[in-house]
Amino acid sequence: MKLLIIEDEQALRESMVKYLSYQGYICETAADFTSARDKLSLFNYDCVVVDIGLPGGSGLDIVSEVKYMESKAGIIIISARNTLDDKLRGLELGSDDYLTKPFHLSELNARIQAILRRRNFEGNKTIGFYEIKLYPEQRKATVNEKSIELTDKEYNLLEYFISNKGRVLTKPAIAEHNWGDEYAQAGDYDFIYTHIKNLRKKLLDAGSGDYLKTVYGSGYRFTDL
Amino acid sequence: MKLLAKTTIYFLSAMIALLAITGFYLYRQFSREIKNRSDAELLTAESQWINYLQSQADIGTTFIMRSKELSVFPTEAPPQPYPVISDAEDYTIISGTKIPYRQLAHVIPINGINYQLIIKNSQEQKVALMTSFTKVVLFVFAGLCLATLLFNWIMSRRLWQPFHQSLQKIKKADLQQMKDIRFDTTETYEFNQLNESLDAMSRKIYGDYVSMKEFTENAAHEMQTPIAVVQSKLELLLQDGNLHDEQVQSVLQAEDALNRLSRLNQGLLLLAKIENNQFIAEGEISFAVITKKYLSQFSELIQQKQLEAETEFTNDFKIPLHPLLADSLISNLLGNAIKYNYQGGKIRITTTAHSYDISNTSELDAIPADKLFKRFSSSPENNTKSNGLGLAIVKKIADANNLSVLYEGGNNMHSFTITRKRN
Repeated sequence: MKLLIIEDEQALRESMVKYLSYQGYICETAADFTSARDKLSLFNYDCVVVDIGLPGGSGLDIVSEVKYMESKAGIIIISARNTLDDKLRGLELGSDDYLTKPFHLSELNARIQAILRRRNFEGNKTIGFYEIKLYPEQRKATVNEKSIELTDKEYNLLEYFISNKGRVLTKPAIAEHNWGDEYAQAGDYDFIYTHIKNLRKKLLDAGSGDYLKTVYGSGYRFTDL
Repeated sequence: MKLLAKTTIYFLSAMIALLAITGFYLYRQFSREIKNRSDAELLTAESQWINYLQSQADIGTTFIMRSKELSVFPTEAPPQPYPVISDAEDYTIISGTKIPYRQLAHVIPINGINYQLIIKNSQEQKVALMTSFTKVVLFVFAGLCLATLLFNWIMSRRLWQPFHQSLQKIKKADLQQMKDIRFDTTETYEFNQLNESLDAMSRKIYGDYVSMKEFTENAAHEMQTPIAVVQSKLELLLQDGNLHDEQVQSVLQAEDALNRLSRLNQGLLLLAKIENNQFIAEGEISFAVITKKYLSQFSELIQQKQLEAETEFTNDFKIPLHPLLADSLISNLLGNAIKYNYQGGKIRITTTAHSYDISNTSELDAIPADKLFKRFSSSPENNTKSNGLGLAIVKKIADANNLSVLYEGGNNMHSFTITRKRN
């Protein structure tokens, strides 16, 4: 899977490349409008991550460009502007998702995976991790081909964990992904523990390996190590 | 002291002095005139008496006559060339009033005998003059007093009207509506000067306010990218398996602080945008629907604190509001109701056709009115959980949408009520 990351802020670009490369993507980058357009016309990408405020032009024009070229690439906009108008315009122009800065890399990764899965019409639409298999369209999970009963939140958690397998996920990142931005203002993240405990128990009861590990003091990690 | 009262006092004091001086001057002029006439009368009387005495003396009579107005008697004193006219010192008492006299004294020789002739002329007129003068002056003064008061009152109403209009405009001036304030041209030069200055000033204030708002918004936007950089770096750092616990804790604390900074920034940005009127209501918002959405979204927190949430949505509260503001309003109020509640407490939410009421139990004291909607004035016990912008945002949303927020605290209950503002 090949990604094009268009972001003028070098440090942020590098972070994204580092995180996404680890997840198995081939990442190419562009730092300004012109080089982004050149790369898009020369190569094919599966997903384009584009910042709106670029030197030399607007990221929204890149979105139009991609659509104009009838590229099959998924598009995800990242922007410092959290306005409904920008969001709507981006989606109208044909972007698949919109992420406001600052964002968690794990969130970006989960969103890219979701886009790729939706766009992958011919291929496999399931997500697998050893004996665990997720069917995102039905929001169902199986362990060793046996279906397990998960609540909505538990399913979201599992999908998020498997999308970011091997990475340490902090409580704020987990909370934001599963419960939304507003949650942070209402309280602490202690409630996450209950959900993770339940999810882990259900997985273990269904005969899965113990992949959901607590990383002492920092958060959780889904890993076979 | 009112300007009207001040001008009246100054005017009247000046009038008193002026009247006193004119009164005194006129009195002197008149009394001099009276004296001259009186003296002329005395001289005429004297010459008549002398003629009479001379004609009678030819017959060989000696005169002695003493009356109130005329005394003629022989004297040893030498004759005087001119009569002496003076104010009489002896006052005669008539009906209890002392009346001054003008007196002519002359020693004249008639047929070889020296006669002392004394003619007195009553100065009663002078006293009358004095009295009427005082009366007139007092009368004029009273009239002036009344006229001044009336005139000043009318003047201050008429002439000062443009001033009062401008004053009212300044009093009602609100930073956000400063743009529309115009101080009109009047017929008075001074007020035109004033209004021109006020116009210039309000335009300057509004300009500064706009640029400050723009600055806030731009600054908040520009801050998001560096925050994103730091956040991504911290996230990557956490993936490093070689970190010790202590280092992990430092990274987590940094991330936590960064989250707060980011939320704070977003809050300030939201406030700036509301002030910029960037959220125009698109349609009616049902408070019951939004509340249900957030009750379900916050259900984990409610369960965790074992809160009892009572709702009464039989009559919905519906108002035109931008959906994003509606979300922000309800999530802030409900978030607070959960956050500042105690374990096993209660939340009660009621909508009526005219109001939205949310109340919760809490161990915290009632919020002082002066701190209620102020930015960054959250209670010290909750400093880490709150960015101190929640209620400021609630208030700003209400203000921008013609709603009023009422707070009641005490007896371990806090309640916020939102109603339409009465116009």
